[in-house]
Amino acid sequence: MSPYDFKRVLVAIDDSAGSQKALDCALSVCSATGARLTALAVEGKLPAYAGSLGEVDEVKREKDRYFAGVLGAARFQAGERGITLATDLVPGHPAEAITHYAKAHGHDLIVVGHRGHLLGDYLLGSTADRVAHHAHCPVIVVR
Amino acid sequence: MTATELAAVLAALIVLASIASVELGVSVALLELGLGVVAGNLFHLDPNTPWLAFIASFASIVLTFLAGAEVDPDDFRERFGASLSIGVVSFVGPFLVAWAVTAVLLGWTLKASLIAGTALSTTSLAVVYAVLVETGLNSTRIGKLIMSACFVTDMCTAIALSAIFIKPNAWFPLYVVASIAIIVILPKISPRFFHRYGDRVIEPEIKLVFVAIFALMVVGELANGQAVLPAFVLGLVMSRHYQRHRQEQERLRVVAFAFLTPFFFLRGGINVSLPAVFANLGLLALLLAAKMIPKFGLVLPLARRHVPDHAAFTTLMMSTGLTFGTISSLYGLNAGIIDRTQFSLLVSVVVLSAIVPTAIAQRWFSPDVAGEAATDRGRLPERQPLPGSRPLPAGEQS
Repeated sequence: MSPYDFKRVLVAIDDSAGSQKALDCALSVCSATGARLTALAVEGKLPAYAGSLGEVDEVKREKDRYFAGVLGAARFQAGERGITLATDLVPGHPAEAITHYAKAHGHDLIVVGHRGHLLGDYLLGSTADRVAHHAHCPVIVVR
Repeated sequence: MTATELAAVLAALIVLASIASVELGVSVALLELGLGVVAGNLFHLDPNTPWLAFIASFASIVLTFLAGAEVDPDDFRERFGASLSIGVVSFVGPFLVAWAVTAVLLGWTLKASLIAGTALSTTSLAVVYAVLVETGLNSTRIGKLIMSACFVTDMCTAIALSAIFIKPNAWFPLYVVASIAIIVILPKISPRFFHRYGDRVIEPEIKLVFVAIFALMVVGELANGQAVLPAFVLGLVMSRHYQRHRQEQERLRVVAFAFLTPFFFLRGGINVSLPAVFANLGLLALLLAAKMIPKFGLVLPLARRHVPDHAAFTTLMMSTGLTFGTISSLYGLNAGIIDRTQFSLLVSVVVLSAIVPTAIAQRWFSPDVAGEAATDRGRLPERQPLPGSRPLPAGEQS
């Protein structure tokens, strides 16, 4: 059995164009291989050094609502191609959360989108760069 | 600058802070404080304009009330002993050390050093909460323990502030009786009041809370004291009511954070003298050490006993500070107990304590959420890498 007979694929999504391409790619891979597909959205940072609990709760609720929409749209898109898409939403730093989640849940392939380099990415590396660098399994970066 | 011109400038700063908060993902309170520092030092705004001083003073009591109302009494009871001991030590240790350092080494007056002790011993429930929610730890036992311990420290701060300022006079018994009466009566009448008058645009229930807070402030002033402790306890006894009526609490927060607290934090910032801070960087470091060393020296051993796997994380969380530290410092300045240089140094240390321990805790000591959640469920799982920390590169993982 080849290590590239993918059984569990993880695709990281938000609502960017790169992430849409990543989802398309992941759906095609799963269509071809029969692998199970999970879409993961990462909520990112909450307000740092908050002055009140309400401020944190409000942003958290807003993010929950927003990403519920993103994941719902992804499920609909997968359903149209006859694929059952599992979805999950986790808090935290995107690259760390994606690599941690993939390892913890036994995924053997990660698919991420490339959004193009922003200014900060030249200094720190993009999320896709960091996922590719730290992941325990193969990573497809979709342009 | 006229009062209206000052209001217009501050309103512009408030909008700017809100936009920056959304764009940068940094708390609006910290940005308001920061913009207040910049505007105050560049344009020499007058922080003692009566309307500004009044709104900021009311806002500080509303903030205290909200801090009490945000406590979950059930979480607090769950690990009462541990949270009480960590919370009390987290206050008493830095309080005594900061008091001794400022009184003995720096020669501050007794009351000024007590203000320093109070401002530097606080924790920030909100800063801690953001870290816990972001990492998913807020629903774990360790998260609840840290939140409860922060609450205990907040309570100690409120007690200390009330004790420092009180100069009992003939009105003192009235202050005590009226405070107790309001604390007992408001939670009892709130459900019926809410049922009859609540959920309306005119917000009678928020006005009722404001009346209660103003009443506490009036009797506090009559007794030469402050309404901090009664307002905090009033918030605490109202927390169950707000658990049942989340929208009411939300609306109160909206009113507070849209109109009241921005003026409090801006005024705090305007009072900070940057030249005074830069001229006293050594003192700044000393005061920061006076906060951090006792937190680590005294909280860490206790944390090791109660949460041995995450003692450093717990200690760092208990070392944060922001709102109560700013309130304590501003009270000292308003009352003429500390001067502008002392205030500037204390607020700078408070802001640093919001940033530095949080960054260190998130970067290097964030607990394993999956492990904690599973431990809470009564089974020990295979440990996973820390979600809040950098995963090891492939090939280096054990």
